[in-house]
Amino acid sequence: MTSIVIPRPEGYARPRSALLDWLTTVDHKKLGILYLYSTMFFFGVGGILALLVRTQLAVADNSFVGNDAYNQIFTMHASAMLFLFIIPVWAGFGNYVVPLQIGAADMAFPRINALSFWLVPPAGILMFSGFLVDGGAAQAGWTAYSPLARGLGPGMDLWIIAVILLGVSSTIGAANFMVTMFRLRAPGMTMFRMPIFCWTMLVTSVLQLLATPVLASALAMLYIDRNFGGAFFDPNGGGNAILWQNIFWFYSHPAVYIMILPGMGIISEVLPVFSRKPLFGYKAFVFATMGIGGLGFSVWAHHMFTTGAVLKPWFGFMTFMIGVPTGVKMFNWLGTMWRGSISFEAPMLFALGFLSMFLIGGINGTFSAAVPVDFALHDTYFVVAHIHYVLFGGSVFAVFAGLYYWFPKIWGRRLNEKLGQAQFWLMFIGFNLAFFPMHLLGLDGMPRRIATYSNESGWEALNMASTVGAFLIATSMIPFIVAVIAAFMRPKDQPNDPWNANTLEWWTTSPPPVHNFDDLPEVHSERPLFDARQSGAGH
Amino acid sequence: MAVTGMRRHVRRSLLLLTVALFALASIGVASAQVGTPKPITDEAKKIEDLWIFTLLIAAVVFVAVEGALIYALIRFRKRNDELPVQTHGSTVLEFVWTGIPVLIVIALFTYSFIVLRDVENTAAAEDMTIEVQGFQYQWQFTYQLNDLGVNADPAASGEISVIGTAAEEPTLVIPIDEPIEFRLLSNDVIHSFYIRDFLYKLDVVPGRDNRFVITARETGDYFGQCAELCGLNHALMRFKLKVVTRDEFDLWVAEQTGGNGESAVRRAD
Repeated sequence: MTSIVIPRPEGYARPRSALLDWLTTVDHKKLGILYLYSTMFFFGVGGILALLVRTQLAVADNSFVGNDAYNQIFTMHASAMLFLFIIPVWAGFGNYVVPLQIGAADMAFPRINALSFWLVPPAGILMFSGFLVDGGAAQAGWTAYSPLARGLGPGMDLWIIAVILLGVSSTIGAANFMVTMFRLRAPGMTMFRMPIFCWTMLVTSVLQLLATPVLASALAMLYIDRNFGGAFFDPNGGGNAILWQNIFWFYSHPAVYIMILPGMGIISEVLPVFSRKPLFGYKAFVFATMGIGGLGFSVWAHHMFTTGAVLKPWFGFMTFMIGVPTGVKMFNWLGTMWRGSISFEAPMLFALGFLSMFLIGGINGTFSAAVPVDFALHDTYFVVAHIHYVLFGGSVFAVFAGLYYWFPKIWGRRLNEKLGQAQFWLMFIGFNLAFFPMHLLGLDGMPRRIATYSNESGWEALNMASTVGAFLIATSMIPFIVAVIAAFMRPKDQPNDPWNANTLEWWTTSPPPVHNFDDLPEVHSERPLFDARQSGAGH
Repeated sequence: MAVTGMRRHVRRSLLLLTVALFALASIGVASAQVGTPKPITDEAKKIEDLWIFTLLIAAVVFVAVEGALIYALIRFRKRNDELPVQTHGSTVLEFVWTGIPVLIVIALFTYSFIVLRDVENTAAAEDMTIEVQGFQYQWQFTYQLNDLGVNADPAASGEISVIGTAAEEPTLVIPIDEPIEFRLLSNDVIHSFYIRDFLYKLDVVPGRDNRFVITARETGDYFGQCAELCGLNHALMRFKLKVVTRDEFDLWVAEQTGGNGESAVRRAD
């Protein structure tokens, strides 16, 4: 086994002050870390807002926060979690991991990459500054349905501008990821030898590139409606209230896959490593990912069955169809573990949490694809349960799988295993306690987005259970934070490849040098490090 | 020796698996029974049948996949440093587990398509139409006196109007055993007219004339609520539903109109 030595230009890194370096860096690793820090910060903020929501709903007829504040709080919870946490956190992982996994020295456009990141914090500040203006922050839900959103205070404008900025960030980021993966792969790495996380980032990028500009157009129209006398969405001025929903969901349904596909990619890196087998059906998995991405553009109106304005059988059928490639993935993950040699380190635990909970999120979604059943379930807590089984049970578990898995590579230290296990079990139990009762509440007729419910409704016990679960989830963050602090107090001691992993990021040092690789192994399969171990090569 | 160890291991795995499956199955059964609405219309009964069918398939898929997952975790956990056989996939299996979901999807879609066709009825000319006006943040129910269903007098003029206020939820009164059309109107923002025990909701969209038809089959007191975020007091947009016999309905109409055909506006009290 030979390796390829990479030539390096002189004076690649000029010494700068640490602060200036972080502020001006175009290094994909540093930008990735900045992404991770800022998105985890917004995860915390969104989490605190969720606790306020759950406190308000813990008991019937509660007045812990008023209706006005409640609408702002749940709107900002969803906006922070979706736009400022889950979408950009994948850009964070992608930034750090994709160039390393394909054996590149950096992203294709490092300066555009820096711009992508530096749009995120101002957008977050702008969105949250709504709490300081007259009328408060955005309060039309993260879906900002018009004409409701048309008549709200200036916090809504701040929200619109923030989401447009975030859209620009992810659109140019998407182009960057695509070019990086198309142009900068290591010698020997064909597209079908690319690590599966890269594939999911690639399909996600395509979705972002095609869908995000559509959202920007909707937001621009809403801004015109609100500020310049437009009437795109106002039937009294000749507009159409349903138009907003069509355009919004044309973006936001693919966006759901933008929010979950990279998580599936992380799981597909972790499961093979901790089962000591290759991913079962690599190509089928790639095609299933593309299938989900493609179908993702044909199902948007399943959010609109109760508007009476969409072709229900078509969108119901296409929504059911999404279950097919998703099922293929599920079976491939099972096939990966089958006859494997499974060990249960923290990254694997979170990956397994993803599998078992995302399964529920997939299954409870089919109820809403059966259009008449959706008439009953739409806009109830059943749907809130569904979205959280997908985006928390799925995406958030995948985020922690990724953090525990790549922490040694990114920071050169390993997170404490016992604390990781404690976090997993607290989070797993808290998650189910928080979100499973919501299925029953939804069936029982509790609409989503209500600030309070009456004592006669009979919804109190399940709501209290859900609130206890939410606080348990919050508690589960304590072992994580302790583990991170403890890790940073120790020296960097991690070898290149602490997990016996498969992909190129584990070939270089932990953390990698500025230029990433001094040399690269030859790539003959999607598991170059496995091949190197088998042939006795390596460092 | 090795055989006994293996057998003990298999027995323990099976026990764990049984416990796990039992726990999961009871969750499934519990979710079918707890908090299920009571379908009080013909349409709701069909929707409930579809719901149960979907739930059964969901339960089977859930138990099968989650069971396979738990089995794999126990059976294939790491015992030594030996590298397992490196299987890369199987085209046959990929076709099988693409095919099975396709069949499930076709079954679910076909049944839901049939139910969709059955529950989306249009009203006949003689059916009663109740106009539902959603506004921030209550409802108004309007009955035309010449459009009250079977006993309607086509020459009658005037209307009965029930308006909810912030202090008092309005009551929607409908007769049993006859098709009733709801016409949903809004002049401000989007609302959604949702009655849990109809298993149905339809959005009230400004600029649209959304209608649906149901036939109630159970008398009694029920509730409804706005299901689309519509602003500050969205949570308080609740109303009551009273399903009564035709005689009781006629009596209620007479009360509202004071016995003559004059128009009457009644505030919820």
